[in-house]
This record gives sequence, structure tokens and C-alpha cells, in this order.
Amino acid sequence: MSEAATDDEVLAAYPNTRIDQDNVEHYRGRLERRLLVNRCAECRLWHQPPRAVCPRCWSSDVRATEVSGRGTVALHTVLHLAAPSAGVAGGGGYPLAAVDLVEQDGLRFTAPIVDMPEPRIGDDVELTWITRDGSPVPAFRPAGAA
Amino acid sequence: MSDIKDRVAIVGLGTTEYSRNSGRTSASLVLEACIAAIRDAGIERDEIDGLCGSNRVIPAHQVQGALGIPACTWWANPTVPFQHQLIEAMNAVHAGSAQTVLVYHGNYRATGVSRSAIADPFRERAGPGFNVLASDPDTFASPVGYAPWAGRYLEQFGVGREVFGKVAINSRSNAIANEHAAMRKPLTMEDYLSARMVREPLTAFDMDYPVDGADAFIVTSTERALDLPHVPVLIHAAVMGQTDLPYEDQVTDLGHTGQQIVAREMWRRSDVRRDDIDVFFPYDGFTIICVRWFEALGFCGDGEADALFDDSWDAATNRLLLGGRVPVNTHGGSLSDGGVQGSNHFREAVDQLRGTAGARQVAGARHALVAPGGMFFNSGGVMLRSDG
Repeated sequence: MSEAATDDEVLAAYPNTRIDQDNVEHYRGRLERRLLVNRCAECRLWHQPPRAVCPRCWSSDVRATEVSGRGTVALHTVLHLAAPSAGVAGGGGYPLAAVDLVEQDGLRFTAPIVDMPEPRIGDDVELTWITRDGSPVPAFRPAGAA
Repeated sequence: MSDIKDRVAIVGLGTTEYSRNSGRTSASLVLEACIAAIRDAGIERDEIDGLCGSNRVIPAHQVQGALGIPACTWWANPTVPFQHQLIEAMNAVHAGSAQTVLVYHGNYRATGVSRSAIADPFRERAGPGFNVLASDPDTFASPVGYAPWAGRYLEQFGVGREVFGKVAINSRSNAIANEHAAMRKPLTMEDYLSARMVREPLTAFDMDYPVDGADAFIVTSTERALDLPHVPVLIHAAVMGQTDLPYEDQVTDLGHTGQQIVAREMWRRSDVRRDDIDVFFPYDGFTIICVRWFEALGFCGDGEADALFDDSWDAATNRLLLGGRVPVNTHGGSLSDGGVQGSNHFREAVDQLRGTAGARQVAGARHALVAPGGMFFNSGGVMLRSDG
């Protein structure tokens, strides 16, 4: 594997996102198509969105850790009038879901969904990757679609 | 310190026209409402020693300078929604940090929430405003979060979108009876169900109607209020509610939001009970918030709002009358009076409790519950009362 992307490379790859020191490792992971979620190295609790301190034990030893990408749909919508974003066609339906990840009860990750014309809460999904404006973006598709 | 219950009162009220195109600045509207509120309270400007608004609207020092208020000893600029301003003022008066507080709010139809606003060069220069969508589309943070939770509500409880449509029609029917309201075109369930989706399952009819407009209030001690011209409207109980998962996509479920914290505390702190309420103001910036306020506060069980609305529907006026008696959002709410983050719900509550709501007046109204804010991190509840 090539060397990890620099901060400047990560910032350049995701110009529309507020990337800071608390979430940059997650976006660095995207460039390697690895979905990273913050996990406490002491008490092992996962949390979202990325923060510098574990919300349970207050340890600052929080590490962006790869998840399996498997889970179930908890929330879903289709955006028809989303804010203008580079690489997203305006006006078209943009399906988006929050997925309960298998790693921990209630741990959710929000991402676009693909190949799911009629998603339902509880549907089993798995991670896939799409490319938007030249950069990898995590997405979910029906489990076992590969 | 003594109990804050009923010790602080709203004694002055001011508003402006709500419109799509005022042709004025937000600051100009706020100042108009402030002057009206000060005059309404029957006080002089030099009696005001506290200011509370929002930096996102106009900072306190700019209000003080523009109105020539000589000396303030306390001010605060909490963020929206509007209950924060009123509750902070209540706390300041009760603590003695200030004796008489000018509380203000305004909204400007900004380009971030109204696509047509971009045609106005002054609006374009003023920027996107607040409550705008994130530039990254892959998030439920921002107002987007209400859409997936509305969808989860429908799916979880197996009800149709009509439950949201009834909220929209109730607000519209009330607005038609209110000359102040910015949107007074009749709305039918057919209109509602055939509207195009903005963020599924929500349409523009499920979202507040962006306007230019402002409201202002004078808040002082109940003791001092007795010397002033109007029937004082007492702040009986005021609650803010928030949980440890205050993120749009991480909220555990619809039963674990700030609304449940508010309900628990409201019914613990308030001597006014649910059946005592004469007029109810559940925030309707999104219809799902409004539906869930009925359920969280115990007007019905979870998932039962649609049946409650059917049982409570007054065919003659095409609106809700809870128990055949209690109207809801008599001004037309955020959906039709106009979207101003809730200041108009309080304005209408004060008018109702003073007996000055004109054709909309609820006869003998003494108790009003305002349930402002959203579900994720800014829920609130304020019980107001008057002794007429």
C-alpha cells in the first residue's frame, strides 16, 4: 500500500466538508476505501460523530478504527432539493440512510444508499464505495449484493 | 433563592408585519417590534436594564445603540430557537441581574432557506442566514434530520402522511382567521398529499414558511408588573430539554429526545395540568415536531396523534379543538403565520392570555402551554398563565 495521504491531500480531496483534527483520520481512511469510526482505546466504546474524548470514560485515547460496514437501515430519506454540492446533480433524488452498524448497539453512520429503490427500516446493508467529484465516498447497498 | 414559579412576567408585546418581501433589513424590523413592545408596556426606555436576543439576528449592543437605551447591566445572545431568549431573561430577572429586559427576535427570508430570495440583491449580499443545509450532502445534521425521523415515524407506527397534513391544515385554517399571517391560502388534504417532495417524506407544506418579521417582549418581575397597564402574563414553568445523544442521526429513537426531558420536567414543575390548558402552542417548524409534541406531552400515546387529530377535528372551522375546546396554534404557527423560530407562538400566547387576540380569542383563556424547539438538541416548554 502507498503511504498515507497527507493532511493537505485529505483537505483537497473533500473540499466541501468541514475537516478538522478531530475527524481528519476518518477522511484519510476514505482515501484508502476504509470506513473508520472513532473508538476508545481504553473502554472500547465506539462513538459518532468523531470527537476528541470518549463520551463514557473521557479518555482522549480515541482512535479512528475500521468497521465492517455491515448493519441495518435505521433512518432513510431522499433529498430532492439538497444544497448545491460538487459532484451531486441538482434536483435529482439523492437517497441517504443512517445505518445501525453491527459493531455496537445504536452506533450509526450516515451515507448515501445505492441499489435500494424502496429501503425499509431494518433492511440489512453492507458497505460499498462510490466516487464523487473524484474522491471515494462510503455508501451502503443491500447485503449480499456483491 | 425563592421558587421562580410565577415570579417573572411578560408585560409588553410588539410585532411587525410578517411578509415575504419587507424591503427592509432584519434589524429595522426588530427595532420596530422593540419600540412597539416598550410603548405597549407603558415604560420609558431608561427603565430597560437588560437585553436578550440572538447574535444571529442582531447583537444586543446594536439594539441598545439604535434605541438609545442609556444603561444596561445584563445582556445575553443565546442561539435560536426563541424560547432560549425568554428563559434567559426570566432567569436574569429572578436572579436580580436585571429588572426589566427587552427580549427580541426576528427572521429574514435568507437565501439559505428560500431559493427565490437569491433574486433580491440585498438578500444575496446578506448571505445564506442560519439553519442552512450543510455543503456536504451525506449528513442528517441541519434541518435535513427531520425528514428521516418523519419517515421513521410513519414506518414505525404504520400511519399515513395525513397525520402531518392535518397539522399543516390546522395551522393554515388558523392563519386564514388571522390577518397577521403571511400565508392564508386555503389548504386541502388533496393539496397536501399531491405536493412535490422536498426531503422525503416531507414537502414544503411540512416546513415553516420563511418570512421577514420580528417580535419583541418586555419581561420584568411579577411584583413590578402589577404597576403596569396590561394584565401580566406570568411565566409559571419553563423547561429546556436535551439528551446525551443530541445528534440528528444518533438519537436512539423517537422516545428518547429532548421532548421527553421537557415533558417529564414540565409535569413535575407545573401546577397547571394538561386538562387546565386553554390554548396549546406546539412548535410546527416541521410537522413531525408538532406531531411528536402532542405525544411526548401526553395528549395521546406514541403513534396515536392521527387518531387524536380525527377525534379532535372541528369540521366547522377545519381545525383542531382538543377535547372539543382547546385550539392549537391559533395564529397559524410557523407553517402559516410565518417561520420565525417560535417567537410568534409566544406572541400569540400572550395575546390570548391578555384577552387581546381579537377574532381568534379563546374565551376566558388563562393557561397556555408553549412547546417550542425541535427534537434533537433544543426542545423547550413554557407554561404561561394569567389571572385575567
